[in-house]
Amino acid sequence: MNATRARLGLSLLAAAALSACATSPYKRAGNAGEVAAALARSQPAAPSPRSLVFLVLGGSAGPRVAAYDLATSRLVWTQKGEVTTRIEVGGDIVVHGAPGQTASGGLIVARDIGNGAVLWQHALAEKEKLAGYDVDAHAVYVVIQTQGLTKRGTTGSVLALDPRTKAVLWRHELPTGHVAGPAVRGGLLAVPVDSQYVILLDRATGAELAQVLSTAEAATFVRALPEGMFYGSRGVFLLSGATARGSRESPGYLLARLPPFVRPFYWYDLYRPEQARYSAIDRNHILWRVAVEGERARFRDETVVVHDYRFLFGFDATSGALRWAYSHPSDAVASTDTGSVIAFVSNDGDIGALDRVTGARRYQARLSGETVNAATFDADGFSPKLAGSESGAGAAPDLVGTLGAIVADPDRRFPDMKLFAIEEIGRQPGRDATGKLLEILGERSLTPLAAQKTSEALAGRKDTQSADLLAAALRRHADYADDRTAPPVDYLARAVAALGPGGRSVTPELVAQLRLPETPTPAAAQIARALVATGGEEAVPALRDYLTMYRADPVHDADPSALIAVAEALLKLGGPADRRLLLFVAEEPHTVAPLRAHLVKALGETDPGAVTRTATRD
Amino acid sequence: MLVNRAATVIALGLVLGAAAARAAETKPADAKPSATADAKPSKAKPSKAKPAKDAADKKALPAARLDAARTALAGEDDAAAIAAAQSLAGAAAANAAEPLAELLAVGTSPARAEAALDALAKLGAGGALTAPRALEVLELYCGHHAPEIRQRAIKALGTIKDPRVVPTLLARLGDVAPGVRAAAGEALAARHERAGTPRLFALVKRGDAGAASPLAALATPDLIPQIAELAGTVDDAVLATALGDYAQRSDVPDRLRLDVVRTIAKLSGAGATTALVEYVASVPAKEDRPSKREAQKLLDQQGSAQ
Repeated sequence: MNATRARLGLSLLAAAALSACATSPYKRAGNAGEVAAALARSQPAAPSPRSLVFLVLGGSAGPRVAAYDLATSRLVWTQKGEVTTRIEVGGDIVVHGAPGQTASGGLIVARDIGNGAVLWQHALAEKEKLAGYDVDAHAVYVVIQTQGLTKRGTTGSVLALDPRTKAVLWRHELPTGHVAGPAVRGGLLAVPVDSQYVILLDRATGAELAQVLSTAEAATFVRALPEGMFYGSRGVFLLSGATARGSRESPGYLLARLPPFVRPFYWYDLYRPEQARYSAIDRNHILWRVAVEGERARFRDETVVVHDYRFLFGFDATSGALRWAYSHPSDAVASTDTGSVIAFVSNDGDIGALDRVTGARRYQARLSGETVNAATFDADGFSPKLAGSESGAGAAPDLVGTLGAIVADPDRRFPDMKLFAIEEIGRQPGRDATGKLLEILGERSLTPLAAQKTSEALAGRKDTQSADLLAAALRRHADYADDRTAPPVDYLARAVAALGPGGRSVTPELVAQLRLPETPTPAAAQIARALVATGGEEAVPALRDYLTMYRADPVHDADPSALIAVAEALLKLGGPADRRLLLFVAEEPHTVAPLRAHLVKALGETDPGAVTRTATRD
Repeated sequence: MLVNRAATVIALGLVLGAAAARAAETKPADAKPSATADAKPSKAKPSKAKPAKDAADKKALPAARLDAARTALAGEDDAAAIAAAQSLAGAAAANAAEPLAELLAVGTSPARAEAALDALAKLGAGGALTAPRALEVLELYCGHHAPEIRQRAIKALGTIKDPRVVPTLLARLGDVAPGVRAAAGEALAARHERAGTPRLFALVKRGDAGAASPLAALATPDLIPQIAELAGTVDDAVLATALGDYAQRSDVPDRLRLDVVRTIAKLSGAGATTALVEYVASVPAKEDRPSKREAQKLLDQQGSAQ
């Protein structure tokens, strides 16, 4: 009976599966052969000789679009007009979104790349929503969602428009309404659909050539680069037969190792309409290029660059090690990796480029008096040489100095980045890094967490060669008359303790701090521990003074940690006479109870007969 | 409880040794009770001969009374300990400071420490605070965490006629507690210690009321215009106190006093009026000087204006 029922169940399941296969629009999905064949038809376009950046300008002159030639450092044209969705460039036109006549609809605007004049506008119908577009020399490819009566009734389609006339070259109905913006490269147009699939179309006819099935992670973007077509979300897949099913084990899968403060954003989520517009994402993303060998991919020069508003960081993509850091005075609104340099534009009109491997300055220009809201680069291969420099580049940025400036920056938007910068300074070798950490610790505006991190970085260095710097920091003290605050003695003492015997030269400064009235009780405890760690026997008189002066102070009743630490230090560093002093302190009735209890135990553990012998002798 | 007087004596020896060792901290702790109990001042900081002579001029208390005081100071009864401290202060003897310094050196409760410091200050005011140990212990307590104790220690330390106390007094001008700064300023002023002038001026510049009178006591004529120039940036009451107290000094030429009086009159608030009134009152009734007449005139004008 049971066996019969099981056989019947399996038969139904198989029938359902076969039925699904028969009706599924994705039955070609993941076919490595078809994907490879489609790619074989795709050839990268010849590299563009242009190095342009298209600027979305604001300010008192009103909304405008402009083209700036990086090679000649001059503005080529400026045209009035608003920009909604991102500028894309291909052939001899630029395309962008513009506000529509109605609340629901929008416009797609094509401009002549030479003068910015509007070539045509395409209005979306009332029930149409723009998913995205891309451009090449042959067409403007627009992916549109058309709303049905119900959500299930929404359909998707790709429209190829003539770049000069707007004439419809072809239309392709997609199998779903859940569609995203496309990317075109050579003869191939890639369109992500239903989160997991990428449909590959012949750009000339719109015929479907293959389907990619991303099994390991969603395929939220497709990106065309000269070195290949890519897709992915959390990571990057080089499109090939090997990645037709999106396996992360494929040699074409890339994921950089990056610190936690970095938002792992490789490319726009093309399913999300808001990401089709210029936004904070353009100021906070990962810049990457790929070296391709067949189906194998690796990040070019093993480098990825993180753009985080005003800052750019070059990382070793494999190890996650920081290679360089750059800090700009104002937010960079856009950036790109040209394959040679990281080019960027700031909101106050600075245009710059840094060597992608070293971070050295390779280009700088300025668009005075303009407010730049956003920008799109069309500058692949742009590889400038800095004027007036023999090597073609400025000096590589001072890493410790730049990281220190990030920490000290009054901009409070980047707490995690500041913590990262502190950790990175801690990893850099040399006295400069130790000095910078000490400088950071002296900042009055340092948050408690940042101070803690700095302290840990400082202690973690165990930089015995810089013990004199710790001593100098400890020589500072609070002075009301001079409007001077106390150094963070607690943290400095921890750093000295980490040096072990190598920190003994700092004993006089620790002693001086122990004797100061403003030294907080926890810091006094830390000083005592540091003296033990360094073996600073010359501190014994100060330890005695501290212990006797405060041993009967009820302030230490609730928290006797400092007294206990000092007593422990005296026990370890002092001689027999100090042991007798501790015995007295343990037995004198005015001594705070927790210290007495601790000392009785400690003295008993180190010499169980001491109490009895002293009592007998007395 | 195993505590007894013998243990206390051992501890006293040890602790006093620590205080002495502080003067020459290069030596590791090999303190021995017998050696440290007789610790002498460091060679690096020789004591002056004059205090020793002053001490010799004071009568000494008998050993039995000192022992009794020691017992009371170390005993269980707080009131008896405080009374013993006060009694030693009243004795005005050169050796009366010894039990007090010992108590502080071995450590005690805040209430007893305050009583001992007050007693030492009283002895010092009477010229009876000459023991080198007292200086060491007072310097130690000038670094105590509690401002009330630091303030008392400064007051007592300031009475010691030994230049070694000056660096500590100067350092405490930078204390975070206003009372401690004021005590240090007053001590420096009482000693006519002009080295304190720049730091006292810095404090007045920050509006520290406690520094005004000490600065007035130490200021040289060339500093007066600088003080006057602080008007508008510092509380007028602070400036009025500094300038008013300066005008009261007997060593100031009356021509300069006249300028000071006029400057005070330009300040606002009750502090300025008080300074003028106090200045007029400070001049003997029979003495007629232009600055007094000017001050009176300015006060009369203020009165009629009101």
